[in-house]
Amino acid sequence: MNLHQKAKPVYWQSLEELNNDSATLEARHHEFKAGVTDEFDINEMSGISRRRFLAAMGASAAFALASCKNYVGKRKNGEIYTYNEHPVDVVIGRPNYYASSVRSRGSVRAALVTAREGRPVFIGPNKSHPTDAYSLNSHYQAQIMGLYDPARLQTPQKAGAEVTWAAADGEIIQALQAAAGQNQQIAIMAPAVYSPTTAKALGDFSKQYPSTKVYAHALHTEATRIRAWEQSHGGNLPAIHWDKADVILALESDFLGVEAPAGAEYGFAARRDVMSDKTFNRLYVAEGNLTATGMKSDYRLRVRPDAQMEFVMALANALQAQGVSLPGGLAGQVSGANLDDFAKQHGLSTMVLKHLVSDLAQAKGKALLYAGQRSSESMHILVNALNDALGASSLYDFAHAHVQQVPFATPGEVNGLIQDMAAGKVAVVIHWNTNPVYELSSLKYADALAKVPVSVALTTEMHETAKASTFALPIHHDLEAWGDAVSHAGVYTLQQPVIAPLHKSRQAEGAALTWAQGDSAQYNEKMYYTYLKKAWQDGVYRQSNALVDFNGYWQSALHNGFVKIKAAGSASPFKANALSAIQAGKAGSDYVLSLHYSYATLDGEFASSGWLQEIPHPVSKVVWDNYAAMSMSTAKALGVKTDDLVTVDVNGQSVTLPVLQQPGMAENVIAVEIGYGRTEAGDIGSGVGVDVMPLLQLASHDVWFAKANVSKASGSHHLVTTQNHHAFDVEIEQDLHYKRGIIHEANYLEYLKDPKVATMPTHPAVNITKTHEYEGIKWGMTIDANKCTGCNACVMACNVENNIPVVGPDQVDRGREMHWMRIDRYYSGTPEEPKITQQVMLCQHCDNAPCEVVCPVNATNHSPDGLNQMAYNRCVGTRYCSNNCPYKVRRFNFFDYRDRFAKGRYHKELAQLVHNPEVTVRSRGVMEKCTFCVQRIMWARQEAIREKRNLKGTDVTVACQEVCPSQAISFGDSNDPNSDIAKQRKHAANHRVLQDFNARPAVTYMATLRNTHEKV
Amino acid sequence: MQVADKSTLDGIPDYSVEPSVVLKSPTFHDITETIVKPIESPPSTKWLIALAISMALFSVEIIGWGVSFYYGTGMWGNNVPVAWAFPIVNFVFWVGIGHAGTLISAILFLFRQKWRNGIARFAEGMTIFAVMCAGLFPLFHTGRPWLPLYLMPYPNKHAVWVNFLSPLVWDVFAVSTYFTVSLFFWYTGLVPDFATLRDRTLGKDFISKLKKTIYSVLSLGWRFSNRHWRHYERVYLILAGLSTPLVLSVHTIVSFDFAVSGLPGWHTTIFPPYFVAGAIFSGFAMVVTVLVFIRYIFDMQHIITLDTLEKMNKIILLTGTLVGYAYGMEFFIAWYSGNLVEQFVFINRAFGPYAWAYWIMISCNVISPQMFWFRKLRRSVPVMFVASIFVNIGMWFERYVITVTSLTRDFLPSSWGWYNPTFTDFSLLFGSFGMFFTLTLLFVKFMPVVAISEVKGVMDGARPSHHGGDH
Repeated sequence: MNLHQKAKPVYWQSLEELNNDSATLEARHHEFKAGVTDEFDINEMSGISRRRFLAAMGASAAFALASCKNYVGKRKNGEIYTYNEHPVDVVIGRPNYYASSVRSRGSVRAALVTAREGRPVFIGPNKSHPTDAYSLNSHYQAQIMGLYDPARLQTPQKAGAEVTWAAADGEIIQALQAAAGQNQQIAIMAPAVYSPTTAKALGDFSKQYPSTKVYAHALHTEATRIRAWEQSHGGNLPAIHWDKADVILALESDFLGVEAPAGAEYGFAARRDVMSDKTFNRLYVAEGNLTATGMKSDYRLRVRPDAQMEFVMALANALQAQGVSLPGGLAGQVSGANLDDFAKQHGLSTMVLKHLVSDLAQAKGKALLYAGQRSSESMHILVNALNDALGASSLYDFAHAHVQQVPFATPGEVNGLIQDMAAGKVAVVIHWNTNPVYELSSLKYADALAKVPVSVALTTEMHETAKASTFALPIHHDLEAWGDAVSHAGVYTLQQPVIAPLHKSRQAEGAALTWAQGDSAQYNEKMYYTYLKKAWQDGVYRQSNALVDFNGYWQSALHNGFVKIKAAGSASPFKANALSAIQAGKAGSDYVLSLHYSYATLDGEFASSGWLQEIPHPVSKVVWDNYAAMSMSTAKALGVKTDDLVTVDVNGQSVTLPVLQQPGMAENVIAVEIGYGRTEAGDIGSGVGVDVMPLLQLASHDVWFAKANVSKASGSHHLVTTQNHHAFDVEIEQDLHYKRGIIHEANYLEYLKDPKVATMPTHPAVNITKTHEYEGIKWGMTIDANKCTGCNACVMACNVENNIPVVGPDQVDRGREMHWMRIDRYYSGTPEEPKITQQVMLCQHCDNAPCEVVCPVNATNHSPDGLNQMAYNRCVGTRYCSNNCPYKVRRFNFFDYRDRFAKGRYHKELAQLVHNPEVTVRSRGVMEKCTFCVQRIMWARQEAIREKRNLKGTDVTVACQEVCPSQAISFGDSNDPNSDIAKQRKHAANHRVLQDFNARPAVTYMATLRNTHEKV
Repeated sequence: MQVADKSTLDGIPDYSVEPSVVLKSPTFHDITETIVKPIESPPSTKWLIALAISMALFSVEIIGWGVSFYYGTGMWGNNVPVAWAFPIVNFVFWVGIGHAGTLISAILFLFRQKWRNGIARFAEGMTIFAVMCAGLFPLFHTGRPWLPLYLMPYPNKHAVWVNFLSPLVWDVFAVSTYFTVSLFFWYTGLVPDFATLRDRTLGKDFISKLKKTIYSVLSLGWRFSNRHWRHYERVYLILAGLSTPLVLSVHTIVSFDFAVSGLPGWHTTIFPPYFVAGAIFSGFAMVVTVLVFIRYIFDMQHIITLDTLEKMNKIILLTGTLVGYAYGMEFFIAWYSGNLVEQFVFINRAFGPYAWAYWIMISCNVISPQMFWFRKLRRSVPVMFVASIFVNIGMWFERYVITVTSLTRDFLPSSWGWYNPTFTDFSLLFGSFGMFFTLTLLFVKFMPVVAISEVKGVMDGARPSHHGGDH
């Protein structure tokens, strides 16, 4: 229609004519007539119409007002959202990705940080990184919340009072110079140092103040393994080719859980893939507590931690009988240990042990023993010796060996420092982002620190050590800081700031270099950046013999996040004389305390993260607490049940903890996680759980295990879980996950003969109505239960991506946790030897969705591409959909949790920045659930339209899939026959949960296959 | 109609003769006097105390709703998986209570059960109040109670319609229709009685004038003319006809809230008849509970006779047994279906963690009415009072058992949960009784609690053969 043509009056004879008139029809279909929504183009304006005149007037008025308005005041109120000067590389609405790295005190991982409008909102793995491509577990992801934590230390403090950096620098420099002048020790308590440039800066500092000594110490590290390797082989500790091992025996090792080294889950899962033609590996686990790794095992042996030494010696003896030649004098050392006797004494199945011995002996060169991070040095040496005998050296990856820039301090050195401090021999202590007051409380670190005249804490949070130090100085968060790291030989990972510092913090290295220069005025924000660049120019750049100039090299390194240099790693033979360091142990029959890293807080470092505190424990599903886990019969002997209190006494140190009766625990083992009971961890982490650090035996050979006196204490403490387990002795509740077709499970060897055994037969479902045909893209997901280790990385990614609020323990206890994803855990069998299965559960996006039909207001409905959608604005919150969901994956906002949790913490200026602007923040009274990351789908679709191409299933990576360390989650277009998921759907092991319910979910699972010799 | 309550054949009462609806052969005028006495006399202390207690309880509900509205549904014990709990239990309970009124006034009217005339007015009133109590629950039960309009199909700019597949939408229609028709039915019956009250209000003081004005407006110019009566009877009959299917439909649709879902324990075809029987059961019990008091307090033993109460008890016995049959049938079908999840749910109901609720339900609903097999117990006021209270406890627990036990343990054992009611939950439950009794007390004070004209219609004096008497 020509707009400029004068509209002709329309005459009509009948209503039909009027209704069927093409113009009327056209008008009815297009609310906005052509031209109304056209771009405003003044040149095309001819014979100015009323509408255009008004448009021009309105626009002029708006521009005029805009230029007069004082926006400064508004910006202070946070009301406007624009750039004064537009940054070159930022387009509003378009994310920027920065390759960087994030770290805990014990390790470092490469990461890809998503920033929106200059604000980091998501930390994902850097998929092109040679070693860390899939290894970004929940702790690293949760650091987004750490960045915006309102409890962060924001200004320099001296004894609790705010000071300027200049004043603090002045006093510290004076103290350092005095100490150096009098040759009094300056101690730097550092965490694991993976950064060569940090090490260089520490070196420069030490050069200036020669009495400086650096102690690299953290609880969650591979320090023991490294020391043992140095003794048994020498050189750098190799990484492991997990994907090449046919048989793995994990000894008190949680290598698929909280202790997972980079790439372990991925390598392990590569051998649990029904879609590949590689055979399955077989995992034996010998452990006292039940860990994530133990849950994943094919065979599990319940061995007390203090009996591990005896067990491995007996195993060595048995292996020798199978023709494995033991190195050096080992045969003699183990001759007294008999596996059958050990089995009898500890109630282990001789059949399983027989399988273990023959599997290890037969898989020579493909068999691996792996001791835990918490195992003793002599255990590691013994394991190294046995691995050598089994030919496991072919599984060692020397090219990616573990490199330490500052060697870990030995227990003796740490002890020595504390004694020196207590004796007043140390003039200055600098805590380099460490918290020894909390971690080393068993060594009375706080008392010793009180004797040090000047102590400094370079820290992001006002933790126990910062409180106890003279100076508490804020340092940059990982996302604000420059840095580099070499955690594996030949892989130089960079760290670049993604956001300008939010507070008056400084780069830790920059602060140290300023002190080394002896003048506070020398500091500038670019200082460490320049230093780092220089160090790279002199170091990495030169080593890599690149053909580009340094600037190009540096920019490409920043772009990729890492540089790879060929590292010459070489195997060194086992040194037989190391065997003398092995101390034989003999387990008693009394209670043994086994301390563990926390799945939530590691060693307490992440206690202030609400997200991590609320992630369910992979085994017990307990949140916001630690506890004394013990077997049913141990609890019975002690006369306690879950939630009762027990007092655990080790060498005169005692703590009182709530009990959790945990199936699958070795008898008389009391397993407790460290990292709780922090007193200075902000409003989130303080007072959560019980501090068991005093029970660590840091001065002894076995740090983590000790004989304990355990007794019932009065009172009780309610442990909050997200999933209870059924009573093992009630028959109708047993094995429901099998009976109901939730878990489909088969023996791997039987599956190889006939793949059909993997899934249960189902009744053919009949639809009496025509089902919807999906043309084009149909989104779907498959989850491989064999690959999934239950690590919770997906749950965390989902929390971060989808603005899922933390609700607090009281609400979780009421059954109101908001997680869109959960990992279900099912026990079957006996409480002593449970068979455990896990299942990732999220909205199944059913084609026959039961939730959709019952919603009275059409708030939940189905999209043409197969998504079960939620229209939050339309939802009135009848909760009928949740009742009718057989998977119970819907989550309801019973309160405004952002308002309610920790006194409106989410509303604080900083904390609210954590929200992903792409995802609606849900209000109270609204139902929510997994959306298949619809915002990512929409973004990909928008990009496809912009690039004038068809959207493909592979264009979208959902958050959980992106971070899954074992790549157990596939997502894509199930209508595309070439897609991964279409192929997986055709596989014999593919099944749906509750198939007979006929909800026809878009999420399918691979049946669990257990690689055992016989059907268990 | 013969006077039969005293008639005996060799000392054995003759049960073949219908007992007289009104005893002691009062005159028409006596009837009017008896019924309007509480309205025309000043409020008694007892009434004031009862009202004070009821209103106190009612205010607890108001506070409960206020708290829920302000802070959110999280104030209740609801969670995932138990997304429906006390409020829905209370809703179904109160809707069920309401059923007796319509049944008595409409169905029994159509069946010409004259004994209903003494209790119909009260039962109708009770229906209105019970539905009012019930209606609050679904209204404020939603997460965002300020958006009830979304549940109405109205043309809107979002071009979003309600989902006609959802039983909750059917519920909106069913309950609102039921309430509207019941209200009209009740009011229609009240018109002649309002006219009587208007004519009797003769005082010259301000209060009397005000009263007269109100009664005049409410009586719609009723002049007791023959034409009025003819119209009245016809309208009453039509409304009775309209209400009759509603008696069956409302609770059928309420039961669809459960039956249409896929949840084991809810997904049962027996629900509609079972719910209707249960509703009549609880409604009659509630009528008995309250009438026992009213007939005593207002000296209406001769109008609301023991014979009437006995008849009610027979219906309680019948419906209680029907409900018991349904309980048994659910188990049979669960077993017969071969559906493991279904079987588990029912075994879990009877022997699982909520077994106590189940057995309270069974003993109150199935066992306690069985004593009405005995005439002596059926006619004993204390026995029927206690039994009727038991029945209502049992019926509340029936809804609790259905709603909560089914939700706590459904398909995936991983998401099994537990339900603990909160203080707010209890305040809403007990507060709703406060609301109910407050409305009931105001009703008995300000309106004729027995239909004056209807009672007169079934008296001996109204028989065509009757001669003499007065008005």
